[in-house]
Amino acid sequence: MTAMGENLLEIQGLSVGYATAQGDVEVVHDVDISVPRGRRVALVGESGSGKSVTARAVLQLDQDARYDGSIRFRSEELLGLPPKRMRALRGSDIGLVFQDPLTSLNPVMTVGWQIMQPLVIRGVSKREARRRGIDLLGRLGVADAEKRFDDYPHQFSGGMRQRVVIAIAVIGEPELLIADEPTTALDVRVQAQVLELLVGLAEERDMSVMLITHDLGIVAGFAEQVVVMKRGRVVEANDVDSLYRSPQHPYTRGLLGAVPRIDGDPEQRLLAVSDFSEEA
Amino acid sequence: MTTVAIRLAETKKRRRSPLVERIALVVIGLLVLIAVFGPMLAPYDPLKVDLTQALLPPSAEHWFGTDVNGRDVLSRTLAGARITLSATGIVLIITLVLGVTLGTIAALGNRVVDEVIMRITDIGLALPSIILALGFAVALGPGLQSAVIAVSLTWWPGYARLVRSVVREVRHAEYVEAGIALGVGRWRLIRKHILPNSLDIMYVQVTLDVAAVMLVISGLSFIGVGAQVPSPEWGAMIAAAAGNVTNGWWSLLFPGLAIAITAISFNLAGDWIRVKQDPTLREAG
Repeated sequence: MTAMGENLLEIQGLSVGYATAQGDVEVVHDVDISVPRGRRVALVGESGSGKSVTARAVLQLDQDARYDGSIRFRSEELLGLPPKRMRALRGSDIGLVFQDPLTSLNPVMTVGWQIMQPLVIRGVSKREARRRGIDLLGRLGVADAEKRFDDYPHQFSGGMRQRVVIAIAVIGEPELLIADEPTTALDVRVQAQVLELLVGLAEERDMSVMLITHDLGIVAGFAEQVVVMKRGRVVEANDVDSLYRSPQHPYTRGLLGAVPRIDGDPEQRLLAVSDFSEEA
Repeated sequence: MTTVAIRLAETKKRRRSPLVERIALVVIGLLVLIAVFGPMLAPYDPLKVDLTQALLPPSAEHWFGTDVNGRDVLSRTLAGARITLSATGIVLIITLVLGVTLGTIAALGNRVVDEVIMRITDIGLALPSIILALGFAVALGPGLQSAVIAVSLTWWPGYARLVRSVVREVRHAEYVEAGIALGVGRWRLIRKHILPNSLDIMYVQVTLDVAAVMLVISGLSFIGVGAQVPSPEWGAMIAAAAGNVTNGWWSLLFPGLAIAITAISFNLAGDWIRVKQDPTLREAG
């Protein structure tokens, strides 16, 4: 992989635990992930594999979580950073696209207000923020962006709302975009559009993207590198071609085998991940 | 099939004729005007006793008749609007400020803060307003201010609990978390994201409580710890006229009507505000 200096995000030996009534439960163990500058990395795994927790650890969104290890962003250590500095990074240097565009927008504020917010809280004038917001929304493929800017979230369709969520995440021009299952709530056709938008934005702005997904079907066209997680550990990390051509870990083979293929043998049943995972 | 769907959409849109709401708002506007200018509009001195004119039925001279002491009921009802509405308003403002502030602090603060505030609300909820008002009447002398303080102190804990439970739910909403992920500060998060999504239920609560608070204050006036005898407070007027149901129903009916109309208008307005406040209930524009 790339040398350390070129990595925008460098996660090393990260463990995440939660204090529960049954004592400390560690859900992510000793994870290493690096995201090179300007590259797109997919973090893949089944539900509960710890991929979301790992991604959220970068922004430290969980107040009551215990973090060990190291997360370096532009060589700045994020773990143990004063809350004020962390807040300055959120939204302006690291953007986050949420999974469900239906619940991640504030229902009583207009879409435009919410798109402008990351700029407004950083001192950009309302007029300038509005101009940039409308411009961005239009580029993300929302027709009549100027008119729709003052609409409320409920007046938007799911796919349009996800564009709004993306606009909110990237308007601060972050260097790193974390997309937490950004297409799970969308239908297949809109999924493809949204991913295409993300690729376009990333290339245009030389933005690094960490895509969290359980869907290996969308990874190949999107990411350059893939990290596979299982039960809170990284089981395989490789560039996307090598991983698809020759998956090393049996779990990865299981995940790939579980994706239905158009050219597959119709007689053969799909593989279940469990067919492979016990060998690990 | 299609026609049915279209008709359903239509009935959902116009859930009530806006006329009713408009009338309610006009009535509230009139009430406020009466509260401000009532004493000036009154044709007679609302406090002037004239026993030769006692218990006259409604007539051209006295539209609402006269009470047992010969005072003009119309003048008293007009003058009473200011007293009743301002007392109710003050109670609700105190209640709202205390309830929203303490409820929000309890919901967002740590466990100790939450526990302390909630135990205080328990005390507030356990005290009947009548006992408290009697205590204040002894300490401050009986009067409307004792009633206002007593009702405020017993009313806010309900608001604090309501606000606390809603805020606790809203602060875990994904859009609040999205705000945190964008670097929104704590104060702005509370002001722009948590409270606007928590308080719409309060508007309805407040407008419904206008009637309830009005009745409690009138009740306190009735047992003698609220507004005192010559005062034309509506509740006190009803209490004073209670003995004349058979020979002077008008002295009872008109202040009663005033309370009823005020209460109904505020309830209707509450609905209207709720619809205005919630963009998902508003007609797409």
